[in-house]
Amino acid sequence: MSRRHRRRRLLSAVILLLGLVFIFVPYLWIFLTALKRPVDAAAVPPMIFSPITTKNFEALVEGPFAGSLVASAIITILTTGATLLFGVPAGYAFARGKFRGRRFFTGWLLLSRMVPPVIFIIPLFLFFHRLKLVDTYQGLTLAYLTGLLPFTVWMCASYFQDIPIELEEAARIDGAGRTRTFLDVVLPLARPGILTVGLLIAIAAWSEYFIPLILAGINTTPATVGLVNFIGIDTLNWGALAAGALALVVPTFIVTLLAQRGMLRGLSAGAVKG
Amino acid sequence: MVAVTAVPFAITIGLAFTNYDLVRSADWRFVGLDNFARLLADRQTPQIIFNTAYLVIATTALETILGLGLAVLMASAIRGIGLIRTAYLLPIMTAPIVVALTWRAMFNNDAGWINYGLSLLGLPEPTWLGEAALAMPVVIIADMWTGVSFMAVLLLAGLLALPVEHAEAAEVDGASSWQAFRNVTLPALQPVLFVAIILRFMDAFRKFEGISVLTSGGPGIASTPLNLHIYNTGLFYHQIGFAAAYGVVMIVMIAASVGLIYLWLGRSR
Repeated sequence: MSRRHRRRRLLSAVILLLGLVFIFVPYLWIFLTALKRPVDAAAVPPMIFSPITTKNFEALVEGPFAGSLVASAIITILTTGATLLFGVPAGYAFARGKFRGRRFFTGWLLLSRMVPPVIFIIPLFLFFHRLKLVDTYQGLTLAYLTGLLPFTVWMCASYFQDIPIELEEAARIDGAGRTRTFLDVVLPLARPGILTVGLLIAIAAWSEYFIPLILAGINTTPATVGLVNFIGIDTLNWGALAAGALALVVPTFIVTLLAQRGMLRGLSAGAVKG
Repeated sequence: MVAVTAVPFAITIGLAFTNYDLVRSADWRFVGLDNFARLLADRQTPQIIFNTAYLVIATTALETILGLGLAVLMASAIRGIGLIRTAYLLPIMTAPIVVALTWRAMFNNDAGWINYGLSLLGLPEPTWLGEAALAMPVVIIADMWTGVSFMAVLLLAGLLALPVEHAEAAEVDGASSWQAFRNVTLPALQPVLFVAIILRFMDAFRKFEGISVLTSGGPGIASTPLNLHIYNTGLFYHQIGFAAAYGVVMIVMIAASVGLIYLWLGRSR
């Protein structure tokens, strides 16, 4: 190996390491601050290391934030369930069905991903007030669906298209109906893909802030909004804030580590097959 | 399914031609193009449009260049590639509200880690969140934490899917590694690059927590782009019709930029 080559390799290792530091520092802040006493958390100059306390977590469990974590869990489960219930069959219809207006629907799916939520939220806000859906779990689930369903249908269709159609034809020849074929042949084969989509939806629902900011109320406030509403961002109560942030981050960390292989495809809307 | 997206979309466009106001919701009527006339006359509009373009172009450009660089380095690394890739996945999966709050604390003037680090190096300590010229850079730096990771992970997957023989053959034929990258690897990466840039663009247009919580759109409106302005106008000041008119402007901006990116990168697919 030439010296030029070796020097270049060293340089690239240094740059990659700097990138990792950039990623790591905010997490370090969250982790260390969550364990700090209030006086140390916003000390001037900042204290990187300080006496450790679990007071912040105790305060969270006693306060309204704990309830908002429960609300987050309920919303996440309802949204993931509803999205898959509608999205998986619709994705199959897209992948295999030949129906009028298919191209129109495909274009619509892509477009609805491009339109920001703020465009949808104003009419939803007006409807929800009239239909008394504000501050209900049903209402929130419905609102989350508007954003997540097009993505789900798109991704599921891409997974279904990977399954050789010959398998389905064989099942049909053996006398299985359309529904039987879907449930017993196609669905088991697409399960890894559907699982990944489900996990990505769950993370998106768990992390959502904008929709519940507008459509949730005291009974349904999820932890993302609760973090700001119950702890506050201007009080410099950073210990509590970091503890709450940790509670939000840890579940998504675990899911990401478990499911990282398949996630790239979902992140790239199918452009990268992982 | 079309109903859940198409109906609200159509209604927003319709509302742009009304004077609907939440406080006086009973007596609304169509006002033609009045909202758009008012929008053009509004002194804030140019700043809002500029902020939107600034945010969207700066984040996408910086994140694409840095992400591509990191992806190339990762692709040629021998050891630890799996671990590094996992590390870059984590910011993408972290709730935006957590990202915004954490960076807000890190950019704090007195107790934040960033100014502390700068003071240790003997560098000036700017009041990051208090100066108009610095507000948008703060938003962009925090966005890069997620965005560079996103680009790096996606483009790495794209790079690893390419056959290495082509670039190697070019180098054997006497091309420098830069020439091989520029003329062989980059064109082959174009489809993934196109999708990644489009997705990042969409995220920049809809960015909310990373602005409303990090800088509150301020000081003044120095870091308020269209997305936050629509929220403020419609849901804070209750002027639904006027906010919807800004919504139409936003849809036009998105459509135009997607069209431009498609012409630039998407055609040869």
